[in-house]
Amino acid sequence: MVGGVRVEFEELAKRFDLRVVFRGVSGRAEPGSVLVITGPNGSGKSTLMTILCGLVRPTRGTIRYLRAGGGEVPRHAWREHLGIVAPAMGLYGELDAMENLRFFSTVRGLGFDEERCRALLREVGLDPDRTTPVAGFSTGMHQRLKIAQAVLHEPEVLFLDEPGSNLDPAGQDWLEGLVERQREGGTTVILATNDRREMEWGTEHVALPG
Amino acid sequence: MSREGGFRAVWPWLLFAWLALVIWAAFLWAPAAANFKGQSSRIVFFHVPMAWVATVAFLGSCIASIRYLRRRNMEDDIRAEAANSLGLTFAVLATVTGSIFAKIMWGSYWNWDPRETSITFLLLIYAAYFALRAAIPDPERRATMAAVYSVLAFVTVPFLVFVVPRIYWSLHPDTFINTQGKIKMDSRMFQVFMASLAGFSVFAGWLYSIEVRLERIRRRRQQEELL
Amino acid sequence: MWRFLAEAGAVFVKDLRTEFRTRVALNALGLFAVTTLAAVSYTIGPYRIAEADRPFLLSALLWIVIFFASMAGLDRSFVKEEDTQTAPLLRLSASPLVVWAGKLAFNLALLAVLMAILVPLYGMLMGFRPVSLWGFAGILAAGGYTLAVTTTMVAAIIARAMTRGALFSVLSLPLLLPLLIFVIQGTRAAAEGSPEGVMEALRAVISLGGIMTILSVVLFPAVWHE
Repeated sequence: MVGGVRVEFEELAKRFDLRVVFRGVSGRAEPGSVLVITGPNGSGKSTLMTILCGLVRPTRGTIRYLRAGGGEVPRHAWREHLGIVAPAMGLYGELDAMENLRFFSTVRGLGFDEERCRALLREVGLDPDRTTPVAGFSTGMHQRLKIAQAVLHEPEVLFLDEPGSNLDPAGQDWLEGLVERQREGGTTVILATNDRREMEWGTEHVALPG
Repeated sequence: MSREGGFRAVWPWLLFAWLALVIWAAFLWAPAAANFKGQSSRIVFFHVPMAWVATVAFLGSCIASIRYLRRRNMEDDIRAEAANSLGLTFAVLATVTGSIFAKIMWGSYWNWDPRETSITFLLLIYAAYFALRAAIPDPERRATMAAVYSVLAFVTVPFLVFVVPRIYWSLHPDTFINTQGKIKMDSRMFQVFMASLAGFSVFAGWLYSIEVRLERIRRRRQQEELL
Repeated sequence: MWRFLAEAGAVFVKDLRTEFRTRVALNALGLFAVTTLAAVSYTIGPYRIAEADRPFLLSALLWIVIFFASMAGLDRSFVKEEDTQTAPLLRLSASPLVVWAGKLAFNLALLAVLMAILVPLYGMLMGFRPVSLWGFAGILAAGGYTLAVTTTMVAAIIARAMTRGALFSVLSLPLLLPLLIFVIQGTRAAAEGSPEGVMEALRAVISLGGIMTILSVVLFPAVWHE
């Protein structure tokens, strides 16, 4: 990975027709650090994550992706630099684990490196030869596959929205190791969670008011 | 009060007088066209300006929509929405006046003449525009989707207005929209017609500016919750 | 270019594969078409229509069945991405034009299957035998393409709104009206064996399809990334 990408956001606010989700939210996430976003249910953590990764436009405020070497990444290119795991972002239930990785790898323009995908599946604790459609997975297995999908293309920015939910204790240990390795490798990690253990991984914190 | 302020207070009354004069002239000063049944030709002084205002409003909305997509400025979304609601109102008026004329000339309020067909679908398109707006709660997303639909809709309009009537035979008088590109009208009628066109254009522009200001206030009130 | 085709192909194959495993869109489209066809054929039948009116009325009925059947299924590929919450990851992974091309190809495939079943059946049940088969095929192909390209765009818009089912036809039908008129004219000309009529309709349909394609390429990224 070259350099890394810093994410800065200032005075973000989001309103839907009848509801202000949050306002005046600022923060920055540096390469090689973990920014933890906390806040009670309904405080807009997930909305903030979708705004930071460019899926939703903020009503107000600015977000910038800055390359370590200087220069800003334009909004339409953010997606090439980020990976995300979030509860409301699913994989294709009709496809099996390998087909899902193959699909995401191909549409990202990486081609399909079968050996790499097999290694990745083994790393997250899934059997690469299993051809059950993902819809038949347990929630924990589904979560592991989502994490594999998020790191497949070695993104500079990794968004994790409640990544430990549905994972067993062994899975949570593994997740901690993964976050640690990503951070040491210079990835910018942005983690939304209310789990006490996950909150401790953070090097900086942003708290959303309820 | 400055001179400009004075004019701003007076001009709506001038417009009122102008339109009153147009209405008087339309019924009492201009002659009725010979090849139309009875007095029915007088509707041209109202029907065509309505259709004209609707067309200009839809064009304006299309331009505002393109600007929104380029600059992502909510002001353009306000303009596009206001122009479309004005366009829809005047399109309804054009339909009603046209339908009255159809009853007198052709004996029925509605007979799916190509022009009637095309205006019906114009109405449908722009009603769909508002249905779409109502179905999207996120203001930023609503603005984008509405803008895109507005552009798509505007592109199909020329097909409806110019191409379809060429394929189907039409009863509609070809006074303005015809293949020779000429206007066929008596000179006195033409004067009243142009006066009416100007009057209604200014009137529509006024309505439009009121709607834009209103919508701006409505949105600012919603925005104030954010501060 | 090859890379673009490979990526769009992946979207297309993914949609085909999920469709084959569930058959939601195809069932909706096919059942709707066959039911409507049965209703039309039962209530009107081949010989209830006067000989002189046959080319026009049979052309109009055929296209109305195709249009309404497509309203039942062509929004599926986008709506499903939103319903199963797969849209966000697709949005973050694939470039917008790749998604557009893949989904368009999928809708074209659906329409092609629909027409392959419906049109011969319609011909048999309603006694519809166009004089100019090539003209008829040309109108079907060009009309199907324009129908698919327009509905693909509208489907992308309504997938992000509430009350989607109703909205899809409310937004699509007015945009499709000029197309409907042209393809009915063209099919009628093919039925009567008038090459000039077919050519005139084809020109109109193709120019409409071309304009919609250009607009889609320009506007789809804005819709998809909103």
